[in-house]
Amino acid sequence: MTRSVMVELVGGRLSLALLVWPLAVLVLLACALLLTGAFSLLTGSYGLSAPDVLAVLRGTLPEAVAGTVVWEFRFPRLLVAMLAGALLALSGAILQGVTRNPLADPSLVGVSQGASLAVVSLIILAPQADGALRPFAAFAGALAVAALIQAMSGARTTGATMRFVLTGIGMAAFISAVTSTLLTYGRIDGALSALGWLAGSVHAAGWNEVRALGLVGAMIVPAATWAARPLGALRMGPEVAVGLGLAVSPARVGLITLSVAAAAAAVAAVGPLGFVGLVAPHIARRVAHSGPGLHLALSAATGALMVTLADLIGRAAFVPLQIPAGLVTALMGAPLFVALMLRAQSRQNL
Amino acid sequence: MKPAHLQAVAGAPVVLGLLVLTFGWHVSVGVKAVPLATVADALLDFDPEVFDHVVIRDLRLPRAVFAAVVGASLSVAGALMQGVTRNPLAEPGLLGLMAGASFAVVAAGALMGGGSSALLPLIAALGALGGAGLVWGIAMAAPSGATSLSLVLAGAAVTAFLYAAVTLLHLLDEQTFQNLRVWLNGTLAGRSPEVFWWCLPWFAGGLALAFLLARQVTALAMGEEAAIGLGVNVARIKLLALFAVVALTAASVALVGPMGFVGLVIPHAVRLLVGSDYRLIVPYSAGLGAVYLLAIDVVARMVLAPVEVATGLVTALVGGPVFVWLVRVRL
Repeated sequence: MTRSVMVELVGGRLSLALLVWPLAVLVLLACALLLTGAFSLLTGSYGLSAPDVLAVLRGTLPEAVAGTVVWEFRFPRLLVAMLAGALLALSGAILQGVTRNPLADPSLVGVSQGASLAVVSLIILAPQADGALRPFAAFAGALAVAALIQAMSGARTTGATMRFVLTGIGMAAFISAVTSTLLTYGRIDGALSALGWLAGSVHAAGWNEVRALGLVGAMIVPAATWAARPLGALRMGPEVAVGLGLAVSPARVGLITLSVAAAAAAVAAVGPLGFVGLVAPHIARRVAHSGPGLHLALSAATGALMVTLADLIGRAAFVPLQIPAGLVTALMGAPLFVALMLRAQSRQNL
Repeated sequence: MKPAHLQAVAGAPVVLGLLVLTFGWHVSVGVKAVPLATVADALLDFDPEVFDHVVIRDLRLPRAVFAAVVGASLSVAGALMQGVTRNPLAEPGLLGLMAGASFAVVAAGALMGGGSSALLPLIAALGALGGAGLVWGIAMAAPSGATSLSLVLAGAAVTAFLYAAVTLLHLLDEQTFQNLRVWLNGTLAGRSPEVFWWCLPWFAGGLALAFLLARQVTALAMGEEAAIGLGVNVARIKLLALFAVVALTAASVALVGPMGFVGLVIPHAVRLLVGSDYRLIVPYSAGLGAVYLLAIDVVARMVLAPVEVATGLVTALVGGPVFVWLVRVRL
């Protein structure tokens, strides 16, 4: 595992040591993702053969219906599942690094609930509003709740990470109740559309969502590359990070904003998908220990794979019924969360 | 008399007075406001010819009784859990009992197509016991042992899992579960008196057991060593307390669905008033819990009138901030 390759760039002035095993895992994950994706394109109520799908993707349409099914329904859905999973996992990985809390998760600490509340308010209180406003509402809601929880749990003292989680659980219960109350109050059509979204499903995803998520993803990738360095320093504790010359508070604020932005974009597109942001970074760390930068990439790949799989299972398990991906991730993620809890070191003692 | 007894005697009329007042308020408020004098008439001098009297007797009175009984039961259950586990964040909803009971009721509905209401509390009790056992087992297996944190985290995970399973069952069989959708948020609207009669022995047994255990729980709350020193059979008290908590939670869930945080809010408030003697905490929790849920239910019916908010949502709206405050102050 410690074997590495040296990559020399710019005539030896810039050299990188890359670990072989994590890179191999990353390639493996990408292959698994491609395979699942291909399988996902072939699965559905309208039977299609592999050559048909390939022909559609190449642009040579065998028949109009197949083209519509693949191009308008399955392909954007697959892309949205991948992108949303990757963003949630990135968000979780960054949040866990910043708070040095292995149990931090956008859905556990109220970020998803904040985004949900904002989006449901938008759907219920302003039904005629443009759907394009959703990501911004989600971002504002998520950021507000994250700031609130951060402020209330007090970020300095030693027991703070545990308080952060518990405060998040309390806030999450409160905000979910507000959201449900809004649903009671709203008109029935708005409430129904909001309910479907709240279950966390990619089934309604279209090219609009792909575009939005792709745009956010394109902005997040360079930011995450920047984030790797302060994350690595913060992982060793704030004192060490200061010693390494990191401006801790600005870095922390920047990283949390980044994490919230990634989660908010994903939640706005597909609704709250529980446990992905929590579990994916841990799976990534278990299969390959690596530096913070590569860890982010591995987490993103794992998250994409998780949500794609969850959507595939949700579609294939109870045909003709479609189970929302959010339910599948909760059913898979909760036992994994318990396993993580049991392994968590006793330094989190209260 | 010792000060504690004095306090008990002095406080009892106040709590009873509050209970009568909230009960009357609860019955008089509604789509059609009925004056308190008519309410008293309907209860004491019933006349089947008067429409208001019929409304109060058949619709509003049962609902008020359910609210009072469930509020008392859940508060007492929470008080017992906090005392026995010495954990300020213990509560039937947080530690997986309500999720277990809800899941059992829904699963039984899916397997047996509704089932009879006689079995409902028993099914809910088995589910609550399973949920509690699961949460407790996970927390005990954690490296840090069963601390407040590991219990609440295990409870959150088990609850998330079981509610996802409930939603899944719901999706697979929407026809059967049309009624359950509202019930799952915790509601006092339109609960059937038939279920209440079947739940009544569970409520009564659980409350009686809790009152009998109060003295030993006081000793347990001081720590297990202290309790053993005082001659308390710790294992037996813990088991009996578990029975009481499961019976109270199961009957409440079977009747009105999961109502979160009632068992957290009231015992803490009571402790502020009467101190740490469970011989006072248990009865006061029962009385004030009834007052609390009656008041909450009035709010749930009035705040967005004519639409009614599920009562369980309002208890969460109050309980969530209280939980956050407790985390800040107690941990």
